[in-house]
Amino acid sequence: MHRSIGFYLRIYGKILVQDIKSKMSYRSDFIISTIGMICTNIAGFVSFWILFQNFPSVDGWGYYEMLFLYGFSLVSLTPVQCLFDNNWSLRIYVYSGDFIKYCFRPINLFFYYQSEIFDIKGLGQLAFGIGTLIYAWAKLGLPVTVLMILKMIVFLITASLIMIALQNAAAATCFWIQNSFYVLDLVFRFKDYAKYPITIFSPVFRFIFTFLMPIAFIAYYPSLVILRPDEIPLLSWLSPVIGLVFFYLSYKFWMYGAMKYSGTGS
Amino acid sequence: MNLKKYLTLTRAGIIESLQFRLSAFIMVIGNMLYLIVVYFLWKAIYDSVGNQPINGMSFYDTLIYLVLATALSGFMEMYTVWEMGRNIQSGKIVLDLLRPMEYRKYLFWSYSGSFVTQFFFTFLPTFIVVAVLTHGAIPMGINLLYFVISVVMAVSINYSIDFIVGTICIYTESIWGINIMKQVVVMLLSGATVPLAFFPETLRKVVSCLPFQSIYNAPLTLLLNGDPDPVYVLQTLGIQLLWVVVMLLAGKLFWRVSLRRITVNGG
Amino acid sequence: MKNSTENAIVMKGIVKEFKVLNRREGLKGSILDLFSRDYRTVTAVDNISVEIPKGQIIGYLGPNGAGKSTTIKMMTGVLEPTRGEILVNGCVPYKNRTKNAENIGVVFGQRSQLWWSLPLIESFRLLKEIYLISEEDYREMLDLFRSLVDIEPLLHKTVRQMSLGQRTLSDILAAFLHNPDIVFLDEPTIGLDVSMKAKIRTLIHALNQEKHTTVILTTHDMGDVDALCRRIVIIDKGKMLYDNDIAHLKGFFGSYRTLKVRMDGDLQAHAEEIRKEVDFSVSADEEWISILVDEEKEKVLDVLGRLQHTHNIRDMQLEEISTEEIIKKIYEEGVE
Repeated sequence: MHRSIGFYLRIYGKILVQDIKSKMSYRSDFIISTIGMICTNIAGFVSFWILFQNFPSVDGWGYYEMLFLYGFSLVSLTPVQCLFDNNWSLRIYVYSGDFIKYCFRPINLFFYYQSEIFDIKGLGQLAFGIGTLIYAWAKLGLPVTVLMILKMIVFLITASLIMIALQNAAAATCFWIQNSFYVLDLVFRFKDYAKYPITIFSPVFRFIFTFLMPIAFIAYYPSLVILRPDEIPLLSWLSPVIGLVFFYLSYKFWMYGAMKYSGTGS
Repeated sequence: MNLKKYLTLTRAGIIESLQFRLSAFIMVIGNMLYLIVVYFLWKAIYDSVGNQPINGMSFYDTLIYLVLATALSGFMEMYTVWEMGRNIQSGKIVLDLLRPMEYRKYLFWSYSGSFVTQFFFTFLPTFIVVAVLTHGAIPMGINLLYFVISVVMAVSINYSIDFIVGTICIYTESIWGINIMKQVVVMLLSGATVPLAFFPETLRKVVSCLPFQSIYNAPLTLLLNGDPDPVYVLQTLGIQLLWVVVMLLAGKLFWRVSLRRITVNGG
Repeated sequence: MKNSTENAIVMKGIVKEFKVLNRREGLKGSILDLFSRDYRTVTAVDNISVEIPKGQIIGYLGPNGAGKSTTIKMMTGVLEPTRGEILVNGCVPYKNRTKNAENIGVVFGQRSQLWWSLPLIESFRLLKEIYLISEEDYREMLDLFRSLVDIEPLLHKTVRQMSLGQRTLSDILAAFLHNPDIVFLDEPTIGLDVSMKAKIRTLIHALNQEKHTTVILTTHDMGDVDALCRRIVIIDKGKMLYDNDIAHLKGFFGSYRTLKVRMDGDLQAHAEEIRKEVDFSVSADEEWISILVDEEKEKVLDVLGRLQHTHNIRDMQLEEISTEEIIKKIYEEGVE
């Protein structure tokens, strides 16, 4: 029996609805977590604001341009937060041997594992990010055309794919090493660096953050397409392809690890 | 107090955390990476204002401050809130309460092994790298002693805050939400993300009345000041000591009151 | 389609090896482990061959770490054998994990595969989608479940809220939901009370009868074996020790009888004394001292007679050897 994309979407939809229903039944947890998420975003914004109280610009990037990058990184980080949050539990399942329980279903293992959790809190961040983007967009006087918005969406998805790929790969290291939390945490911290323009780094690190640890693709390269339309480097145009390739590779790596791991203990 | 009893816990903690060789290595990489990003970011910032000291802090001061704040935070994060939250929810807390040690002490000393490894794997290398890279911008004098005393008190205040927040988990099942709120508030208001010197005047005044600035801002400003005014030192350490006592008592009191809820409800 | 003349599972000379890290002890050891690692090869499954016909319930026994779970993982396609041939429903499981998964159901001890925070009925509905079960088959199966156990109170409970027994029951039902050819049950009755164990055994038996499903049952509980299996396979340290009917096995030990005696005072102390007097294995519980007598060596009545001289026996019973004792003897001595 062949299972199509439609099949997977339908399954995901059903799990999602059920999951949200059950989360709503833990009301106080839901509310407190949402407040926590809002606090995180406000605090992030406040530190950003304090910084720019002291400095008018950084390396030729003005306040609103930096704000745009900031908003862009928030939005592009939402999918990884919402859809792939179960990656954080992976090492616990692997360590305890419980991961084996995901291996007996006749559907894609990666999909089945990730579909289990939808982190609804991420939506707050999405709203905050979109608000920031719109505000910065208006203040920068960027044109509002269908093409621009289309470009924006494509490049936001691109950026998301890169972050998802990084997180998948980081989570999958738990199939080989015992305490992979630090790897995941390291990659998670990448998101904090994503919001800065790559030009502030020296050439060596520019190379590293572009090709070895592709942090610059989470916000900088994709957002250049919108922000500085006159000086778009080739890497920006290539970023959708790079995003897809990275995502595919990380998926393969994850699956390879899962198959190799084979539930050793017990 | 039988110190040996506690040191056994410390030793077990060291062995446990050493078993993860790669994680130790990755931790170092992670911190180096952070160091690089912070370095270039602030270099760009200072470049754009012509490398003038801002609010009394030079580029190197800011750099040292922020990097060591991160190293300190790695060292002070004890996951107390998670541990308590999980134990309260699973009911394991009842077993822990039966131990012949006060719960807050038991929790602290179980984790203390990681202090030692974190100190050698994270804090010390970071400190050395920063000291070398900034060409001796860290003054090496009596300020180091003040710094150590201040850090010890900071650990205590931080732990008390964690313990208080962990106690809240008795009342709500939301561990993640509570923990993230605490983390965000502590990191911002303690000056760990942006030094307090950069805060706007009014905000700085408000923050200086809160216990959080004693965690990062106090030890780090003491470290960066090579020729400190004794009055300033006494004042800073005095305020810290005050917060140590206040938070300790607040934590104990809150715990005692909340514990009744556990014993009444049976967990 | 289920065909009773075919084999559900065929394994020929299956071997599975693992590399295991040697951890050193103590503080110094952990520091050494940081810098160099020392691996050794462990053979978890060593040359096992077995054929399981369709529709059979087979008991798969062995002590902890014998290689049972590893074998099950190879049969379900999660693990690839190091050497040997394996066919499940005519295809190689590890090459076709997904396809194989459509025709099997798995219950892995206490690890529930259901969605933790969903009501059972919602889990069932999701499984219906995942296994592409037709509406008709789904209803028919639920009706069958209803006729076998009282599932109504469970359907609207989340797995999180269930007791261990209810959870196991739900997991077993979920494993049968898509009417698979083979169901693997790993320690299904572990940690359950007597009445729940009986309920679960009845359920498994009924489902096997009704749907002619092949059931591979790994367990430590001889009650499960006696209630469900005619054939058992015993492995220890990765090697196959026995593969045949239980009755046949009992034939091997036909000359064994269990002599049970009751006496006053501390039974453990008495058992200790008796151990010195006879040449057989002696054990004691709260009520009885059991002596496993091999009548080829000495007649039961002779043993009893000897004991009467030295002890004040208040009561006695004579029993056939139990499956549990047979297994224990096989672990200890093997089958010649």
